Amino acid sequence: MGKLKVFGKLTLVASMLVSFAACTKKQNLDEKVLNLVVASEVKGMDPIYANDLYSSNEVARVYEGLLEYEYLKRPYTLAPNLAESMPEVSADGLTYTFKIKAGVFFQDDKAFPNGKGRELVAEDFVYSIKRLADPKLQGLGWWMIDGKIAGLNEWRDKYSKEDVVDYSETIEGLKALDRYTLQFKLSKPFPQFLYSLAMPFTFAVAKEVVEFYGKEFLNHPVGTGPFVLPVFTQEKRLTYTKNPTFRKKTFPSEHSEEFASIAKENAGKDLPLVEKLVVNIMKEDQPRWLNFQKGNLDFISIPKDNFDSAVTPDNGLADTLAKKGISLLISPQLDVTYVAFNHDMDLFKNKKLRQAMALAYDSKTSNKLFYNNTAMSAQSIVPPGIAGNMPNYVSPFRERDLEKAKSLLAEAGFADGKGLPEITYDCPNSTVSRQQGEFFMKNMADIGIKVKVIQNTWPELQKKIDKRQVQMWGIAWGADYPDAENFLQLLYGPNRSPGANGSGFNNPQFNELFKKASLMQDTPERTAIYEKLNRMASEEVPIIYGVHRQKYTMKHGWLKNYVSTDFDAGQAMYLDVDLTKKAEDLDKL
Amino acid sequence: MSVAVAEKLVSKESHSQSKSLWNHAWESLVSDKIALISMVIVSIYAIVAILTVTGVIAADWSQEVGASYEAPSAAHIFGTDIFGRSVLLKTIKGTEVAMSVGFVTAIVAVVIGVALGGVAGYFGGKVDDFIVWFYTMFSSIPNIMLLVAITFIMGRGLVAVYMALGLTTWVNLCRLIRAEVIRHKEREYVQAATAIGGGHSRKMIKHILPNVFHIVIIQFSLLFQTAIKSEVILSYLGLGVQGRPSWGTMIDDAKLELARGVWWQLAAASLAMFVVVLAFNLLGDALRDALDPKLKGKS
Repeated sequence: MGKLKVFGKLTLVASMLVSFAACTKKQNLDEKVLNLVVASEVKGMDPIYANDLYSSNEVARVYEGLLEYEYLKRPYTLAPNLAESMPEVSADGLTYTFKIKAGVFFQDDKAFPNGKGRELVAEDFVYSIKRLADPKLQGLGWWMIDGKIAGLNEWRDKYSKEDVVDYSETIEGLKALDRYTLQFKLSKPFPQFLYSLAMPFTFAVAKEVVEFYGKEFLNHPVGTGPFVLPVFTQEKRLTYTKNPTFRKKTFPSEHSEEFASIAKENAGKDLPLVEKLVVNIMKEDQPRWLNFQKGNLDFISIPKDNFDSAVTPDNGLADTLAKKGISLLISPQLDVTYVAFNHDMDLFKNKKLRQAMALAYDSKTSNKLFYNNTAMSAQSIVPPGIAGNMPNYVSPFRERDLEKAKSLLAEAGFADGKGLPEITYDCPNSTVSRQQGEFFMKNMADIGIKVKVIQNTWPELQKKIDKRQVQMWGIAWGADYPDAENFLQLLYGPNRSPGANGSGFNNPQFNELFKKASLMQDTPERTAIYEKLNRMASEEVPIIYGVHRQKYTMKHGWLKNYVSTDFDAGQAMYLDVDLTKKAEDLDKL
Repeated sequence: MSVAVAEKLVSKESHSQSKSLWNHAWESLVSDKIALISMVIVSIYAIVAILTVTGVIAADWSQEVGASYEAPSAAHIFGTDIFGRSVLLKTIKGTEVAMSVGFVTAIVAVVIGVALGGVAGYFGGKVDDFIVWFYTMFSSIPNIMLLVAITFIMGRGLVAVYMALGLTTWVNLCRLIRAEVIRHKEREYVQAATAIGGGHSRKMIKHILPNVFHIVIIQFSLLFQTAIKSEVILSYLGLGVQGRPSWGTMIDDAKLELARGVWWQLAAASLAMFVVVLAFNLLGDALRDALDPKLKGKS
């Protein structure tokens, strides 16, 4: 106990020093500044490479697409963004005609004549989507529209062998009929098509800018969106300013009952609501937590090690924090965490080995150690809340069963792990990721499998997965749109890397069934197929499932209009800061 | 027979005459209490490291011994970590990494430093210019940046740590050896060796090296503790040893755990590191006192 006290005093002194230091640096309260945090490095600002949450969120601050999600509506609903209205769809469901908003301008940039941004036209979307399909660029979102737009695959294949890709060639399924009319013709039914137009991959870029900056385009985002980032650099902080030429866009009036007060309070206000946006890149939990405590960040998700001190056993917020005007929001997330196998390796074609490893993985303890028992053990790949998830389904390879795992391992030909090489497990390089890796290593050691944990930066890890230089790795998938297809496609053979199927799982039966479901509209029959696929995804153990997480978000009282969402691309423009309240609350911190 | 008598005579004479530098140093070392204690501590760490490598102790460090984050108690002196493993055993197992990194790194640095320093000092001229230019340039790169770069190239793991630290810590020793060799190469005993037809390598290795070796020993002990500290820093940054306990990863864990009041992992790792680094520093001082002829007679 003696030691504990001494330590307590030390931390007290340390924290006093910190708070003195904090006092000397006053926050600027003259203008509305949002202070956000990202938990990982951002890869870059090119929409076609934004295949991870962190990059796509940044891309969506500058760029915009045809459609977006209603900010205040649940269940999630699509709404027109750069489109004038929702598209006209032909009777056969294959032709989509969009009218594009007139008077939308690209941000001013030296890539344009006289530095003045020009008006957005339908042709820009044609160009942007061709860019996504460009075989030379290897856009990471190609999987999403692969084989779906008439003539686009042929165009891609034709130019994959040639030196220069010709963008002027007309593609049947992707045409600008006039300055403001855009028409898509699908080669087969694609029920998720509209969702894909709300994803950053298909956001509009200007040809002049791409050509002006060449390779550096990745670092020079110029979109039509609410915020401007002059240059992207790999720094610890990105500072966006309000786009002065942003079109008139008002706070959405469509809303669900639960958000009525937000809608009422902001009715008719011009977006964005803040002048400046500061995005801090902080990989580690404690700096995020301490900066939130100091008021340097407007909201954060609660780190695992601070959970007990922040959240009471009945899911309330601790008094000490509530007194400072902080509030807590809890919401389930449409996501799944998992440990993937590289199915390119012959070793992992051995199903019994995969099953044995899944049975050795202790998801219960992992939930306790890393999610404070707030997450839900994942039985298969589709999270609760979307059709295709089976609420009462229990996977035969979920609960830890060492005996069974050992006998399966023996059947796989590796009794007690004999004959197995050391398996590498790649993860991001934060402390928590490493601990998760060590936990996996320890679980596997219990049945005699040797695992080595390798830490990488986030971009490095993504690159390794794309290039198939990994054996196993820990990662998560968050929904791009509220449809089980978005999760099941992670296991669809033809989607292999650089598509979203990083594991390279390729099962003819699964592929067949998935292909069938992907052409179907939302019907009970499709849900039945989704469930069948979901069951296969569990029994084949293509990956080892972890949990479906819940978001525990803490926000300061001065942050207005914050709503928890699974599709947070573009969210920042709706957020507001109450400067008077901020001045008051900062004194309490 | 007469030969034997003569030999006896000589040995008797030398015994009664004077002790060698090494004998002398050893005597003054053991008579210094602090040095003696330091030596004992370092030996204990070394023995512990050898015992963990061979699996005699702390072989079951990865076993759970209790619940997660149990506070220190009689059963677990330093409590348990996130997975319920004994922090004491992890600390002991961490000794293995620390000592092996210290030892191998120091050897690597000594080999490079002595070889380059010796060659530069002995041959002088263009060779010397080149080597001086090389290490000056080398030392102008910030150490930690160089470490990070090397571990990025070589991948992560123990071998990468050995090489990274070995390749970044030899400059100081190289400089000292070079200066000392320059001093020695004009001495009479070297000239005598030349006169009887000794080649370059013979003069360098057989004659000069033993006379500058005290510097190597002093520097070795200092390199050793620098390497231990650097390994902890690298592991803390996630660039060091992977998948086995290291004091650095323990401190890395602790930076999160402190938020929930778990201080014992930090305490155990820091204490273990503090004691061995202090012991090496004191030993290094004592060695210098004992071995450096310039300090002889001063107290």
